Amino acid sequence: MNYFPDEVLEHIFDFVTSQRDRNSVSQVCKPWYKIESSSRPKVFVGNCYAISPQRVIERFPGLKSITLKGKPHFADFNLVPQDWGGFVYPWIEAFAKKSVGLEEIKLKRMIISDDCLELISRSFPNFKSLVLVSCEGFTTDGLAAIASNCRFLRELDLQENDVEDHRGHWLSCFPDTCTSLVSLNFACLKGEVNLAALERLIARSPNLRSLRLNNAVPLDILQNILIRAPHLVDLGVGSYVNDPDSETYNKLVMAIQNCMSVKSLSGFLEVAPHCLSAFHLICPNLTSLNLSYASGIHGTELIKLIRHCMKLQRLWILDCIGDGGLEVVASTCKDLQEIRVFPSDPYIGHAAVTEAGLVALSVGCPKLHSILYFCQQMTNAALITVAKNRPNFTRFRLCILDPTRPDAVTNQPLDEGFGAIVQSCKGLRRLSMTGLLTDQVFLYIGMHAKQLEMLSIAFAGNTDKGMQYVLNGCKKLRKLEIRDCPFGNEALLMDVGKYETMRSLWMSSCEVTLEGCKSLAKKMPRLNVEIINENDLMDVGADDRQKVEKMFLYRTLAGPRKDAPGFVWTL
Amino acid sequence: MELQLGLRSLPTYNFIENFDLNNDGFESKDQMLGSKPWISCEDGNYMDNKRGFEVAFGKNIEDASRELPLLLWSGQPNDEDDWDGEKKISCSINKNHAEENQVEGWPPIKSWRKKVLHHDQHQARHIMNSTRMTAAGNYENGDGSNSKYVKVKMEGVAITRKIDLRLYNSYQTLTKSLISMFAKCQNLGNDAARYCLTYQDKDGDWLVAGDVPWQSFMESVQRLKIARNAG
Repeated sequence: MNYFPDEVLEHIFDFVTSQRDRNSVSQVCKPWYKIESSSRPKVFVGNCYAISPQRVIERFPGLKSITLKGKPHFADFNLVPQDWGGFVYPWIEAFAKKSVGLEEIKLKRMIISDDCLELISRSFPNFKSLVLVSCEGFTTDGLAAIASNCRFLRELDLQENDVEDHRGHWLSCFPDTCTSLVSLNFACLKGEVNLAALERLIARSPNLRSLRLNNAVPLDILQNILIRAPHLVDLGVGSYVNDPDSETYNKLVMAIQNCMSVKSLSGFLEVAPHCLSAFHLICPNLTSLNLSYASGIHGTELIKLIRHCMKLQRLWILDCIGDGGLEVVASTCKDLQEIRVFPSDPYIGHAAVTEAGLVALSVGCPKLHSILYFCQQMTNAALITVAKNRPNFTRFRLCILDPTRPDAVTNQPLDEGFGAIVQSCKGLRRLSMTGLLTDQVFLYIGMHAKQLEMLSIAFAGNTDKGMQYVLNGCKKLRKLEIRDCPFGNEALLMDVGKYETMRSLWMSSCEVTLEGCKSLAKKMPRLNVEIINENDLMDVGADDRQKVEKMFLYRTLAGPRKDAPGFVWTL
Repeated sequence: MELQLGLRSLPTYNFIENFDLNNDGFESKDQMLGSKPWISCEDGNYMDNKRGFEVAFGKNIEDASRELPLLLWSGQPNDEDDWDGEKKISCSINKNHAEENQVEGWPPIKSWRKKVLHHDQHQARHIMNSTRMTAAGNYENGDGSNSKYVKVKMEGVAITRKIDLRLYNSYQTLTKSLISMFAKCQNLGNDAARYCLTYQDKDGDWLVAGDVPWQSFMESVQRLKIARNAG
């Protein structure tokens, strides 16, 4: 291998695409490190504060695609104050300054301003793809800048962002010369869009394969769109309120029937359920179906639809489908790989599915390996059965709405059930648990969950031993997030070196004190130990014995961050 | 609908009582009905050091006064706010409600998703209501929940007008607007005193406007009539 010229090595490395594999390649020897780093096109930074943008640019000068993640996962559930951080501007500024030939930006849980979007649109002439997931801080004005200035834009994908909608004209900002769009997703926008501009844009985008509309696009426009874009592979229906007896509806049915290439269907943010039958004809082609925003659809309608979806691989659905509906899923969707069942009414504290639905899925779907399941109750027996049926789980997330509920039949903790899951599913990479859980379940996890990378715990455990079992046993652990558990300093400080092998640790409402955090920060200079204190209860002279409400620590090469707001205290 | 709203505001763990219909095979119902400690255990030792859900929860089950904020929600118009304003009102009230009655950040659902689902239900109810109303024939809805159009007939005037009640927040603003609207076709001026505003409610009865609070009026009004005062 030493005799191969660099270009050949580079060409070989081109076939190595996953970040992990490329990291491995770069560690073989110095020449390989050099060649791999200079040619790596895609860089993934799981924590934007772990490294500075300058260092990334230095190491990967050939960078074309960057993925950045900002806020910790629990920010999704309002546990992290809005201005905690995750600002992308410094990154974009750095890339712009060094004239990096950026073509693709993917951000998750970050704050991006209109100015930043404008900067992106003006700094990277070959810019092709912008994907924003759960981000905030921008308005439709920023989108207008992207539309206006990115001449070769292929992808604008906005997923579940909080966008201030200035109603608008941003869609009209795509110039007439822009014909390169492949993917457009604006389902999360709440305001009106210029419908004529939308139709014209679609008419001049022959490569458009993915289109997800928002609520403001009415049915007759949808119908026009479907006629103009018969090659769509991924469709997100916005508003679907119609009258089954109308002419519009009949035309729509015909338009839908034309879209035989649609494999992925989502949206239905507003829906008149009786008209879903229009989609029955394309259901047999679907591999992905997301009806999790459509709370207007009754269980019976959902079931009718599912019966036609024999090729489904991915299903996101609301729990109003019921255990019975999940049995239909299990008997119909033999190719199912991933399912997520969300509660239809998150405020009401009641879910419409139980352990029965979960068991049915484990029996009927041999390829099922990823599940997120919100349910009313669970039993050890069910979990043990599921573990036996489905040893191939890689992601298992169970959320019982009442988080400390014991086994619904025996009233025992659910330790044995989850223990069976980790013992049987040897490839398990992600786990979140709820229910009445003692230290015992953590002993099982430490013993068996050898591939586990991410663990989320809430209201579980009895003593520090619980956390210690996990830190000791899970060698591949990268992200640990804990809330409302009785774990304290002894667990936190047991193995401080462990945290440098992990991306991050979140602990909130636990027993950890300021003293423990300070001690950890002192021993481990390459960790940022942040105390998030919204109520100004803590100051520099605070009593060290005080419990810390929220702590977030992560390994970093960039030192304490300079953009931390006043309520974040880096020890 | 109010009953539904009322139920929704009960603290989360009360639902175990209300929904034990689902727990068919569940033996220890009496534990769930609150007569025993909420987190049951055979031997108490694994409960000792635990920070329980109910501790984090920290709310009084009996505190039924939480119901009120939600009941206020169903239809208080705010004429300065447009569609977004109303959405914000309902979202923020429910956010407060949610924060009051539930543990922070529980259940672990993305806040974006919570907003969408909640808004969906609000919309769904309105779509249901307006379809019902249209079927009844004497009420027309505008485009969803951001307008409430009713017919206004003035005695002696041939043309019936239509107004959006959501643009007003009190009887005064409503009557002022009606006067200016109808003064164009009649020379009202001083004659305004000789007229009184009446409305037809959900039951079909004609009542004098102004007797009930504005919110109740908004919920029940089907159409308006400006009638001449007798004598």
